[in-house]
Amino acid sequence: MGDCSFGITGKDFVILASDMNAGRGIIKMKSDENKIRALGPHLAMAYGGETGDTEQFTDYVERNMRLYHIRNHNALLPPAASAWIRRQLAQSLRSRKPYAVNLLLGGFDTTTSLPHLYWIDYLGTKADIPYAAHGFGMYVALSTMDKWWFEGMPKEKGVELLRKCINEVQSRIVVQFNFNCILIDADGVHQLDLSASDPIADLSRAPEKAEVEVPNPIIAAPA
Amino acid sequence: MDTLVRQLSRPAVPVHGEDDEAYGNAAEWGSMGGYGNLSRTGAISGMTVPRVLDPISFLATHTDNLSTNPEAKIKLAHGTTCLAFKFRGGIIVAVDSRASAGSYIASGTVKKVIEINPYLLGTMAGGAADCQYWETYLGIRCRLYELRNKERISVAAASKILTNLVYQYKGMGLSMGTMIAGWDKTGPALFYVDSDGQRIKGNLFSVGSGSTFAYGVLDQGYSYDLSDEEAQDLGRRSIIAAGHRDGYSGNTCNLYHVRENGWEFIGNYDVSQEWYKYNEKEKKALEHAGKAGVQGGSPMAVEA
Amino acid sequence: MGSPMEYNGGSVVAMVGKDCVAIATDLRLGQQSIGVAYNFDKVVAVNDKLYYGLPGLATDVYSLREHLRFRVNMYRMKEEREITPKTFTHLVSSSLYEKRFGPWFIEPVVAGLPQPTELDPHPKPFISTMDTIGCITTPKDFAVAGTAADKLYGAAEGLWEPDLEPDDLFETISQTLLNAVDRDCLSGWGAIVHVITQDKVVTRRLRSRMD
Repeated sequence: MGDCSFGITGKDFVILASDMNAGRGIIKMKSDENKIRALGPHLAMAYGGETGDTEQFTDYVERNMRLYHIRNHNALLPPAASAWIRRQLAQSLRSRKPYAVNLLLGGFDTTTSLPHLYWIDYLGTKADIPYAAHGFGMYVALSTMDKWWFEGMPKEKGVELLRKCINEVQSRIVVQFNFNCILIDADGVHQLDLSASDPIADLSRAPEKAEVEVPNPIIAAPA
Repeated sequence: MDTLVRQLSRPAVPVHGEDDEAYGNAAEWGSMGGYGNLSRTGAISGMTVPRVLDPISFLATHTDNLSTNPEAKIKLAHGTTCLAFKFRGGIIVAVDSRASAGSYIASGTVKKVIEINPYLLGTMAGGAADCQYWETYLGIRCRLYELRNKERISVAAASKILTNLVYQYKGMGLSMGTMIAGWDKTGPALFYVDSDGQRIKGNLFSVGSGSTFAYGVLDQGYSYDLSDEEAQDLGRRSIIAAGHRDGYSGNTCNLYHVRENGWEFIGNYDVSQEWYKYNEKEKKALEHAGKAGVQGGSPMAVEA
Repeated sequence: MGSPMEYNGGSVVAMVGKDCVAIATDLRLGQQSIGVAYNFDKVVAVNDKLYYGLPGLATDVYSLREHLRFRVNMYRMKEEREITPKTFTHLVSSSLYEKRFGPWFIEPVVAGLPQPTELDPHPKPFISTMDTIGCITTPKDFAVAGTAADKLYGAAEGLWEPDLEPDDLFETISQTLLNAVDRDCLSGWGAIVHVITQDKVVTRRLRSRMD
């Protein structure tokens, strides 16, 4: 599998990063494809796997999350969302044509103010862990995260760790990767510009520039 | 099945056969004998090869040297992490010590660094017997070179002997990924040699199933200007990282340091104990740094 | 992909003592050789007298655990009493056999203390184990399953003895599990032991090898 994605939690945030390659066989047809999808005001996932399946499955998840939000006036919290997504994959596994989609689900629980990260594979295996990787990242950068991740990281350190991981895959893996990256905190889902020298400072300076299109804008609670 | 057994139990096509006088001559033993299939002059007198039309395809169907052919009866153990890197103070060589057969841990105390001579080290990945045998043989050849030329062999020449040897058996199921590290008159030298016949010179290598995990720590912490202590710690830390994440690596870490006057064995460390130790120490240090301020610290720097 | 039973790794062991039972599991969740998480608890409580462990394919561990939670809750509501270890074993067994032609890749282990009833005032501690399609075995000594099963058999055969008191049973099951998983590439990364007695359950997390 030619994908690569990372997830890192910290004190009050979770970062998701994903490679941007899309293509067929040995041909890279696109190197700026966004493979991270916002699923709610405080929920997003980075996905990879079989082309076609990925699009269909993420659309399916996104719309079901939105449906829940519309029906209940409350978005599904990350633990519940992870359970639902896992179940869809587990049920799909024993169907005629399973979805081959691996994903990292990141979210911010606004009721407890805690970040969440779930590692989920196409079998429906779920791991609730503080930092994770899929694809090539699992091989070369899990150990990097083991060494440099720590409990209660501030955002800047999270970005620094992500840069180490990206540097590692870019220098050790034969395939060329570009990465895009989002950050979820109490204020919602934000785009991070990794080419900037200090993306976190840019984010706090001009949050409107980092807005990510969220499928279900926060619906005002009925009076 | 019977024909297969008959084929295997027969003496195969050798340069010299089992019934040759080479085996029969009682005078040729001890120092006058060779080493396995080697004559006393040190030349290879031929490795026995299956007596079939195409030994390469025969061996390919019966040997599983990359764990890709589960049907094969002859399975070679895999699962290792070895690394070596050059830096200002010489070369660091670090390896794990796990030998696995399937998911069973057959041994946790394997010596994966082969001390070829006081100035040369070889590491072991892939077929344990292949590495042990050929690197021991390399030791013999290096000693003969020394006696004949009254000077030590260069690391480049030693590694070339090994490549030439294994290249003769290419495709016949030899499985080795080895690093030859040493110090010669050109200074420290490090080569990667494998059973495909590849031989590359370099500053930093890692080999085996856990190598990717070792790279993840090694690359991000490496600098040529590391102090001796920092370099030894980086080598050890990378093996611990690989032992932790890779199911087929672990148990203990053997650490060597090659300097101008030859190699030195630094120590044997329990991977699990070291993991707990590093975890406690590093997380505390990082948390402290995280609280103190987030500025400073380039991504390539080794943290104290 | 290799065998689904060995894809994620992990092992469970249960042992009978004197008026007590114990069940223990490792905490590794892997993707073949790569370790992914060390907080994957494969043992679940049904109630404070009955625990079960599900080693095998991790996705099925979650699915079967969810299924059993549903079935046990339905039983509780309909019967207005707790399920007995024996009944629970049959519930697990039939759940597995339901998928006879496309099985859950799980070999469950059940451990519990049956409650005294009028018919059986002095029930014996109970353990059981099943294959992937629900064939039940109810050993009198210990039950093992998972990638380290063969190593667990060896260790348990050597260490277990009849009528162990709770403290000794804890020591025996802990040593059995730790020594077995230390010989298995795909199990380990921490362990949890539960010792169930009539008045309490003692749960301890073991510090184990992390390689």
